[in-house]
Amino acid sequence: MTSQRLLTAYTWAFLVFMFAPLVLMILASFNDTSPPSVTDWQGFTTKWYEFFWMPVEQLRADPVLRALDRDRFLMCFGNSLSVAGMVVPLSLALGLAGAVMLTRWQSRFNSVLWWVLLSPMLAPGIVLGLSTLVFWGRVGVPGGLFTIVMAQVTFVAGYPMLILMARLQRQPIEMEEAALDLGASPWRTFRRITLPFLAPALFSSGVIAFLASMENYNTTMFAKGSACTFATEIGAMARNPNGHPPVINAVGTVIILLTVAFALGHALLQRKERAL
Amino acid sequence: MQGNEVTLDGLTVTYPNGFTAVHPTDLTIRAGEFFSILGPSGCGKTTILRTVSGFVQPSAGKVLIGGQDMGSKAPNARPTALIFQNLALFPLMSVRENVAFGLEARGVGKRERLNRADELLDLVALGDQGSKKPGELSGGQRQRVAIARALAVEPAVLLLDEPLSALDLKLRQHMREELRSIQKKTGVTFLYITHDQSEALTMSDRVAVMNEGRIEQVGTGDEIYSNPKTAFAATFVGEVNAIPGTIRAVDGGLVQIETALGSFSAENPQAMGVGEACLLFIRPERLQITPDPHCVNRFPARLQRRDMEGAFVTYHLQAMANGQPLLAQRVNTGPQPIAGETTVGFEPSAASVLPVGKLAKTGREQAA
Repeated sequence: MTSQRLLTAYTWAFLVFMFAPLVLMILASFNDTSPPSVTDWQGFTTKWYEFFWMPVEQLRADPVLRALDRDRFLMCFGNSLSVAGMVVPLSLALGLAGAVMLTRWQSRFNSVLWWVLLSPMLAPGIVLGLSTLVFWGRVGVPGGLFTIVMAQVTFVAGYPMLILMARLQRQPIEMEEAALDLGASPWRTFRRITLPFLAPALFSSGVIAFLASMENYNTTMFAKGSACTFATEIGAMARNPNGHPPVINAVGTVIILLTVAFALGHALLQRKERAL
Repeated sequence: MQGNEVTLDGLTVTYPNGFTAVHPTDLTIRAGEFFSILGPSGCGKTTILRTVSGFVQPSAGKVLIGGQDMGSKAPNARPTALIFQNLALFPLMSVRENVAFGLEARGVGKRERLNRADELLDLVALGDQGSKKPGELSGGQRQRVAIARALAVEPAVLLLDEPLSALDLKLRQHMREELRSIQKKTGVTFLYITHDQSEALTMSDRVAVMNEGRIEQVGTGDEIYSNPKTAFAATFVGEVNAIPGTIRAVDGGLVQIETALGSFSAENPQAMGVGEACLLFIRPERLQITPDPHCVNRFPARLQRRDMEGAFVTYHLQAMANGQPLLAQRVNTGPQPIAGETTVGFEPSAASVLPVGKLAKTGREQAA
């Protein structure tokens, strides 16, 4: 009985530990004071959210917001979308190739290959970022969005690979053999049999690759040169010695909501698929 | 559709780990024949099938279909269609699309291939199920979809890898008839792989009994059951009593053999010589309890148990001389109380001697 209670207490403590900072961050995003606070309540406001679309005059009138460079922030966010727009398809293609090779090509080097292909996921992010910068610097390409994409793809491709491998291992190989046996070319077999089977896994891999690319900080930080992304810009704003503006709390809240929405959507999709 | 001849010419398959799954094998499967390869699991029968379909490359020898060397032709370039043990229907496609897939791969237009698929679904009595997904069908229906899908590509040879093993008994028996009638209707050569002797015997024109990578005997079901050529074929197909002995005299087609149970006269299909160690095989239904007085082969035995199996009755006996267990079978003509000591016997024409060799595993050995 006591152990049961202990476990319950531990579980609650764990949840509080995990979610309390998020709850405080969300609360602070609606408090009309800067730097963000929940203890010093100055009244409810949504201006930290409105910052992104409010008229310029209103922006200039606010003592906190006028110190922020909205255009730069939006530009960095746009950079992140462009980077993710490249990273997602590249890492899906690479991850798919790796997954097909490791599950369908039976070689005794498979276990070695598995570690080689996944090692970028385990390597420290700054090592990836630095090595990308150094390599492309030697080639003559300065740090920028291109090097960010290259650096991110090396490790982001690992996520689709793991997810797609798990899925491919569940598809009986006879399915593909049957297609070949009926006269289909390997390419048609892949397109008509393997790919449709992978579609849900490709979708969730894409979502995860997108999130991984958007939120990546350390690798991007080292590979970015003079460019900026959403994550590095948030990082820069958070390092403000006078405390960061609550705008960051607002952004964080939106990210949390989006993540929860993605997770729910994914769970629903999986349930639907399992019912199939 | 028309069947083609399949020839294995010295076919040998050794896997990279050194295991020889198929020892050099010569075999001809006639065009339009229903041919079964019967053997225990791991005997190499599936390897032969996968070699014919092109998924396994022979280490030596050749596969010829219709006289044409298949060489290293890929599975998608061979005139064969394979029905997998798990059927491998495409779960995301409708039944009709499944059947039409082979034609799609051959570039047949959509309308034409779907019409053809409907014809084939009619052939297997699934004409009204085309728009369902395979997952919505019963086991027997899925089976028939797999057959229709394979027939759609008009194969010269249809390869079947124990396709009935997942079905329950009644359905299995029914599907045997269906497979047989589809084969007759289409004239396609069927190469059927199974470890189930009654499947092989009931459906096939000819059967090859296979063990440990070698074909032991090829013949009709009757030939294999009545005139087995090897100890393995005799013990794998049907029940049999095997009594070890030595040949004492050869007299025309008959031999006199000396065994622990006595001296007997039996057929000698392998023309064995005097002095050779042999096994005497008698089918349970040929072993008589209280035989005719003029029966030359007789010895005393004790009745242990009587198993009523419906149409027939199995008697478990023990030879008095050495306690060897024996089986006798009779048509069930009503209760016939036999107990204790009795005499059993058999006609010389009902028994044969074969060279000592590997025997098929008994149920007890398989369970161990």
